[in-house]
Formats: sequence, structure tokens, C-alpha cells
Amino acid sequence: MEIKICHIYPDVLNLYGDRGNIVAIEKRLLWRGIDCTIKNLNIGEAAKLSEFDIAFIGGGQDFEQEALLDDLHKGKDKEIKSAVDDGVTFLAICGGYQMLGQYYETYEKKLCDFIGAVPLYTVGGKDRLIGNFVFDCDGAGSIVGFENHSGKTYLMDGASPLGKVRCGFGNNGEDSTEGIRYKNVFGSYSHGPLLPKNPLLCDEIIKTALDRKYGKTDLAPLNDDAEEAAHNQMVQRILKSKAEK
Amino acid sequence: MPGKVALKICPDLLSVLAKNTKTVVVTGTNGKTTSSRMIEKAFEDAGLAPLANRSGANLISGITTEFALNSNIFGTCRKKYAVIECDEAAARLCLPMLKPKAVLVTNLFRDQLDRYGEVTHTLAKIREGLEGTPNAVLCLNADCSLTSSLALELKNDVVYYGINQSAAPESKSVTLSDATHCIRCKAQYSYSYSTYGHLGGFYCESCGYKRPEPDVAVTAINEIAADASSVIMKIDGHKSVVSINLPAIYNIYNAAGAIACVKAFGMDSSLAIDALAVFRCGFGRMEKFDLGKAGARMCLVKNPAGCNQVIDFLAATKGERTLVICLNDNDADGTDVSWIWDVSFETLAENAGDYGRIIVSGLRANDLRVRLKYAGFEDDKIEIICDYNALAETLMNEEKPIYIVPTYTSMLDFRACLVSKLGGSRFWEG
Repeated sequence: MEIKICHIYPDVLNLYGDRGNIVAIEKRLLWRGIDCTIKNLNIGEAAKLSEFDIAFIGGGQDFEQEALLDDLHKGKDKEIKSAVDDGVTFLAICGGYQMLGQYYETYEKKLCDFIGAVPLYTVGGKDRLIGNFVFDCDGAGSIVGFENHSGKTYLMDGASPLGKVRCGFGNNGEDSTEGIRYKNVFGSYSHGPLLPKNPLLCDEIIKTALDRKYGKTDLAPLNDDAEEAAHNQMVQRILKSKAEK
Repeated sequence: MPGKVALKICPDLLSVLAKNTKTVVVTGTNGKTTSSRMIEKAFEDAGLAPLANRSGANLISGITTEFALNSNIFGTCRKKYAVIECDEAAARLCLPMLKPKAVLVTNLFRDQLDRYGEVTHTLAKIREGLEGTPNAVLCLNADCSLTSSLALELKNDVVYYGINQSAAPESKSVTLSDATHCIRCKAQYSYSYSTYGHLGGFYCESCGYKRPEPDVAVTAINEIAADASSVIMKIDGHKSVVSINLPAIYNIYNAAGAIACVKAFGMDSSLAIDALAVFRCGFGRMEKFDLGKAGARMCLVKNPAGCNQVIDFLAATKGERTLVICLNDNDADGTDVSWIWDVSFETLAENAGDYGRIIVSGLRANDLRVRLKYAGFEDDKIEIICDYNALAETLMNEEKPIYIVPTYTSMLDFRACLVSKLGGSRFWEG
């Protein structure tokens, strides 16, 4: 078996530790004897996305966003949308998560057209929502991560949240939702390395991709002592600090 | 802190206190402390007895305190000269008050995103500060497209420093660039060579913005050894051999910046060159001390760019060793530890056999354990020792050379623990 990963815009969407997600998927495939290839899709390059099994899109700085949107609207937006419709498994984080949605309305009321591949939109907020957070995810238990965003994201009809916030802000700090599950898309504000400390979610993503390619697949169990220790320590610490507030 | 109270009463107190002092300010993401200490050493050797602040006191309150402690009852500083390290976010307020004669901006890298936001925001803060100091000579890292862009809009005199293509080393770590697109026109940069991170021979084909020709240029690297480096620098057209009593390429940048700054201050650059050969930084910055049978070196890290440089340094040194990595997530470290995934620990794992013992510590030791596992180290070989006393004890019996790589607050805590155990005399004087 083999999984082909496409890392979309690693040249500009590479904010703090995003590549940790690719490393986690790759290692957890290889440890199970499943082959894995990774293609970097930079600005100015073209690729047929539906030929991949997993696409990853991370977060970036505002500064490069203009160059990125130019490139996106030269055809990659349609390519990404049709890959989502085709059932390619996507993991989208922070800026990349917002970008899969319909639009972004900045705090100054300027509207940016995004890819429109998933039913969500984002509105620029005044304050940044920053900190460690915990949310509960069906099928993957508690998820721990770090969020740092000023955009507030709202899910539209047809979308489910990835999870329900237990501590932190999530999509918008208002409705307790965090992230999105739509077709085979997993979207989250948990920036940086979401998957290494949340191995159940990583395996859920891997399984989604394998199921689509090879039919129902069982994943061999791995020794997750290290991952679980890191996961549990942070969940406990975050919930404890919430209880103390 | 007295500075905080005083600032409430008199918000521009610093400008009053610093009025009669000729000052150098050092700011930027990485290398502030080391560069400041290099310049301080040159000033001391020249008999100028400068006022200097320490890295923990580099915000406006700490700098004001430092001046206040050295002032007479009339509110002017007794010291005629000062070498001041200034936090890059505090530069906006501090620079116009200090009215420095020279300002060294070392580089700009992504740092604590939870605190500073994007790197271009930090750049804007420094630029705002410099707008209030039109008479300061700027010493800018020519190889950093962000830093050298300060000269595009400011009219100050500039001394550039950098590492030329002829001396550019081969970078071993996979380096992520923090500045891929032109600060002026947003087109993608091209590079004729790179040294590390986004530093190197950048040029923009679209608008023509490019690396300026440095006035202080490293033209050849003779040797980068485990303890020191020897390079050739061309300073205003004249070549000199410069010995730097610290290892690693980033300290070559710090040394070139210090020379540029001493020159910009109007002093002879040979004063800085002499100082570099005997200079010792201490305080966790490549600091050596007698620990275990073969000694230890502590290499403070704060962000991926700096940590990848330490990784390159470790990869370039040979032989079996013990590695200790300490990761904290207090405010001063940055509360977001995601950045460890941008560090190429994979480079170390390629020679996993060199690491007889590998120990993780700090508040986020568990995160390091996961990171090292995914980098290719065997999970059951990674020891977790969070108690600093226990860590110090086990290291005291260590046979092999020890390398300790801590983040800021874990450096402070573990270093204090080691000082109390070993006694100050077993440290190299900082």
C-alpha cells in the first residue's frame, strides 16, 4: 500500500511547526509498513490534486498572502475544490483552513474571495485568540493544541465541527465549535503540529485516506506511550488552569 | 523594579537620564546579548568603562533602572558611554529616548509569535524607533533582507556587514525561510547563495532590491572549530584575520556586527578585533563549564533559526557525547512550543550513535520526547529527567562531553542549579 501526500504551499504556508503534521502522517504510515511519498506544491507550480490521497495546507503570515491569493486564483482554487469534491482527504490548519472556506471579511470590512471548497466563512476579529486549548472530537477523543488567530470562523449548512471546545476559543469563541468535518476534509485552528500529540486523530486521517483508496482498512496498533504522555500532560494542565480561573 | 515606578511618574525619564551618555543600542531577534557583550568588551579594553544592561533587563523599565542606578542626584548618568541591549518590541519607545550614536540590528527571524506576531510587525516597530534617531549610524546585517530593508526608508548613515559568497558555508539543516517574498514588491526572492535561514545573497528580479555590498565583509572562513572560529574580514577594503573565541556560524555574524558597530561609533575596528579573540560571553550563550569528566557547553536557543544553528554546530562536532535538551513554555520562552517541529532534529538523528545519552527536561519535556521520536531517535533511549537537581547529579558523573540546549527560562533555572552545585568558580567567567 502507498499513500501520496501533497503539501500545498510549503514555501509560504509553513508557520510554526506545520510540517510536524506531515512528519506524523509519514512516520505512522512507515511504522505500519505502508509506503508514503510527499510532493511539495509551491507557488507557481501545478499538480493534479485528485491523484493524491492526502492534501495538507497549513497556516502562514499575512505578508505573503497576496502572492498566494494571486497564485490560488490562477487555477489552484478550482483544482483544490474538485479534489475536495472527489473525496481526497484534506488536513487544513489555521490560514489554510480559512482559505478552504467561502470568503474572509477583514476587520476593515474588505472581502477576500477564498476557495469555496467547504461551507464556512471567516470574519476578521479585533483581538487575537491565543493559547493552549482542548476540544473533544468524535472518534478521536480529546484533542490538544495551540490556537493563535484573529479570524472568527462560522460553519454553514452541511458542515459539522471537528470537535466541541472544552477549554479555549475554537472557531469563533462564541458557539463552542472547533474546526470542520466536511466530506473527507479535516480543518482546525490548532496550528503547528496538531497530529503528533493527537495520534488518534492522525490515524483517523490516515484511515480515511486508506479506506478511500483500498476499501475498509484496519490499522495495526502502534506503541503510543510517548504521544499519550505528552497529550495527557497538556490536557490535564489546561483543564486544571481552567478550573482554577 | 524601580524603573517601572519611575516611568509612571516621569514617562520620558530615560531620555533625561541618558542625555549625556554616548550610547550604542543592539536590537534584533537573535544575537543581541552576544553582540552587546562583544562591543562592551571592546569599549572596556579602550578604557571607556561603559554602562551595560543584561539580557533580562532589555525592556524600557530595565534599561531605565540601569541608567537610574548609575545616575547622580541631579538625574544624569555618571557613565559617559553605554552599550544597551534592547528588546526588538521595546525599540520603538527606547530608541528615541536613548538617542544612540550607533544602532546595531542583528537580524529578524520569526520568534515568539504569541507575543510579537509576524516578523514584519517587529520590523515596523524597529523602524518606528529608528525614525526618532536620525543621527544614529545604523549597522545592518546586509544578508538579512528584512534588516537591510530598514535603509530603504531611513536617511541615517549605514554601515553594512555580512558574509560574502566566497565564505558561505554549506548549511546542513533543512532551513525554513522566514522571508521568501520581497519586502518591497512582494515578488519571490532569488538567491545567489545562502548562509542560514533566509540570510544570504538575496535579490529581487522584479524590483531590483538586493543584498547591499557590506562594508565589513567576511570573505573567507579559515576554520570553525568546536571552541572558536578564524575568518578573514575585509573592513573598508583592508583584509584582516579575525579570531572569534566562540564557535558556530551565527557568532561570525555577531562578530562582524560588533566590528561594524565599533567602527560606526567612530572607534578603530582593531579594538573590536582584539576583543573578539579573548571575549567570553557566558550566561548560557555557548557557555563552557566544568561539569562531568569532559566538561559541558550550554547553548541557549530561543527560536527555530537559532536552534537549527545549534543543531548544525552539534552535527559538525565529532565523537560520542551526552545531549540534554530543556524546553519550557513560560512567557519569556514563548508559550507556543510548536516551533520545535521546525527544528531539524532529523540532522542529529542521522548520527544517533554519537548520542550515548539523550535527556529531555523542562516543563515540556514530553513534547521533546515526541519530537525526537519522530525525528528518528529510539523512544526507549530518550531519558526524561525533569528535576534539575537530579539532572545535575547525573551529569556530574558523566564521562562524555555534555551539550545542554535549553530555552530561556530553563537556562536560567538549570544554570542557577548548576552554579549552586558547582560553585561559581567552576564556570568560565561570563
